[in-house]
Amino acid sequence: MRPRIVVTVLVALLILPLLGVPARAQNALVVSTWGGNWKDTVEKVIGKAFTAKTGIPVEYEVGGTIDRLAKARVAKGNPLVDLTFTTTHVARLYISDGLYEKLDMAKLPHAREIAREALRSDYHVGSWAYVYTIAYRPDLVKEDITKWSDLWKPSLKGKIAMPDFDPSHIITIAALMEGGNEINWQKGESRLRQLKDSVAAFFSTDAQSQDLMKTGQGPVQVMLSVNAYHLQEQGIAVKVVQPTDYPGVVGIDTMAVMAGTKKADAAHQFINLALSREIQSELVKALRAGPVHPGAVVPANLRGQPGIFLSAAEWKERGYIMNDEARAKNLPGWREWFTANIVKK
Amino acid sequence: MKLLLVPALVVLAVFAAALASLFRWSLLEFIPGSLQTGGLTLANFRGVLAPQYLGAIQDTVVLSALTTVLTLVCAYPVAYALARTPSRRVRSVLLVLTLAPFFTGAIVRTYAWVLVLGNTVVSWPVPMLFTERGVLVGLVHFSMPTMILILAAALSHIDPIYERAAASLGASPARVFRRVTLPLSMPGIMSGGLIVFAWTLSAFPTPELLGGGKVKMIANVVKDLGLDSFNWPGAAAFAMLALALTLALLTAVGRLSTARAS
Repeated sequence: MRPRIVVTVLVALLILPLLGVPARAQNALVVSTWGGNWKDTVEKVIGKAFTAKTGIPVEYEVGGTIDRLAKARVAKGNPLVDLTFTTTHVARLYISDGLYEKLDMAKLPHAREIAREALRSDYHVGSWAYVYTIAYRPDLVKEDITKWSDLWKPSLKGKIAMPDFDPSHIITIAALMEGGNEINWQKGESRLRQLKDSVAAFFSTDAQSQDLMKTGQGPVQVMLSVNAYHLQEQGIAVKVVQPTDYPGVVGIDTMAVMAGTKKADAAHQFINLALSREIQSELVKALRAGPVHPGAVVPANLRGQPGIFLSAAEWKERGYIMNDEARAKNLPGWREWFTANIVKK
Repeated sequence: MKLLLVPALVVLAVFAAALASLFRWSLLEFIPGSLQTGGLTLANFRGVLAPQYLGAIQDTVVLSALTTVLTLVCAYPVAYALARTPSRRVRSVLLVLTLAPFFTGAIVRTYAWVLVLGNTVVSWPVPMLFTERGVLVGLVHFSMPTMILILAAALSHIDPIYERAAASLGASPARVFRRVTLPLSMPGIMSGGLIVFAWTLSAFPTPELLGGGKVKMIANVVKDLGLDSFNWPGAAAFAMLALALTLALLTAVGRLSTARAS
C-alpha cells in the first residue's frame, strides 16, 4: 500500500501545477507586451477595438523586455504568443534568431500611411515613439538646462542619473558632440569620461529612474520622455528639455508577428488596426508617446513636446534615430566600456 | 522506502541538468547583436577576467565578510537577551521585533532604506546612499533576523549553571562572557556566520537598489551581462567562475569552523 500512496502523492504533485496554468481561449490572439501602464494601454486602446471589430478575443503575456525574449527563444517554432511588442533594437535580436515572421505588407494597408522611420524592417513596424532626453526638477536645480552640453557643467556634479542597462543615448550624444556618431562612438570617449563625477546614480529600470526623480536623489536625468510625462501627471515638477544643441535620441517600440504562429492573419489585422489614424490618436493621449501616423490627432498640451512628432519631417528634425543594427551589435561593447570607465569607482 | 528518494533525485537531476546547460553556454562563442552563438571557445572566461569583473568578485567577498562580522556583532546582544531574559513579555517583544522583517519583502525593506539613507529622513555626515556603506547597512539589516534566531538557539542550549559557576569562582561578567559563554556559543556563531556569508555572496536586490549601479556584486554582474548586454555566454562564464569561487570559499570556511568546533 505504502508505495502506491507515495506514487499517488508524487503524481498529484506533478499534476497540480499544471492545473494552475491559466487556460487560454482557443481562438484568442495572444499579445506579448510590457506590464503596467503599457499593457493597460495596449488592452484599452488597441485590444478592445480589435475584438469589437473582428470578434477575436485578445489575451496578454506580460513581462520585461529580456524575459519575454528568453521565453520566445525557448518556444521557437511553436510560439506561446502570436504578436510581440518590443523596442526596435531588441527586435533585431528576435530577427537574428528567426523568431519573427516576415510581415505581409498587403495585409497592412495602414502601414503605407505611417512615417517612413517607423517601418523598421521587413519584420517589425513601429507602434509609437519617444525620446531619451534631459529631464530635471527645477525646484532642486536652480539653473536652466537647455542643451546636452549643460550636463557637463560643474554645478551639476553629483546630481545626474542615467541608465546603465543601456548607455547608448549618452554615448551617442557625446559622440555627436565630438563629430562622431553611434558607429564611430569612440570619438566621444574622453568627453564621456569628464561626466563621471557628475553622476549620482545609475538606474536599470524605468521604476528606479522615476524613484530617483521623485526622491530627488537624481534630479537631473537622461530620461525616457514617456516616464517624465508620467511623473508630471503625478504632480512632480519635472521639466522635459528639448535640447537646443543636439536632438534627443529617438526610441521606437515595435510590433511583429511571431514565426510559426497559427494566427498570423489576426496578428496582421491587430497591427494594421494599431497603425490606423484613430488608434494612433488614442495612443498619443493614453501613453503621451509620439504617434507613428503623422495624421494622428495630438492634444494641444503635447504638441511640440519632446518625443511627440507631428509630421514625417519632424522625426529627423527633432530626434536622432540610431541605426538599430549598429545599436544591437555595439550595446554589449558599450556597456563594458561604460562600466569600466564611467560606472566603476 | 526507496521511492521516498525519488523527489530528491528529481530535484538533483534538474539542478544537475541546469548546471550542465550553464556550463555548455559558458563555452559558446558570443556574437554581438545576435542571439545565435558560435562554436566552442574559452574566450568568455578570458573576458570575465577583466578588471571590472574581478573587482566585482573582490567587492562581493569583502562586503560578505564585513556583513557577516557586523551582523554577528549586532545580533549577539539581541540573541543573548532573547535566550536569557526571564521575562516572558520581553522575550515575546524581542521575538516579534526579530521576526517582523520576515513579513515584509526584501524589496520593500530595501526601498525603505533608500529613503532613510538618502538624506530625506536623516541628514548623514557622509554619503550613504549609492555607496558601499549604504549597501553594507542594507545587507546587515537583511541578515540580522536569521543570525539572531540561530544565535538564540545556540545560546539557549548553554546551561546557565556554567556561567554561575564561573561567577561564583570570582570571574567578572566580562570574563565569564569571554571564557565561558562565547566559546560555548561558537557552534551557533559558526553556523550563523556561514549562512549569512553564503547568502550575502549571492545578494541581488540590496546592492541593486542601494548601490545605485555603482556597487556591483556577483549577481548584479551576471544580470548585467545576461539581461542588459544579451551576452548569455559571458553571463554563464561569470556565473561558473563565481560558483567555483563560492564553493571554494564555503569549503574553506566550513573546514575552519569544523576545526574550531573540534
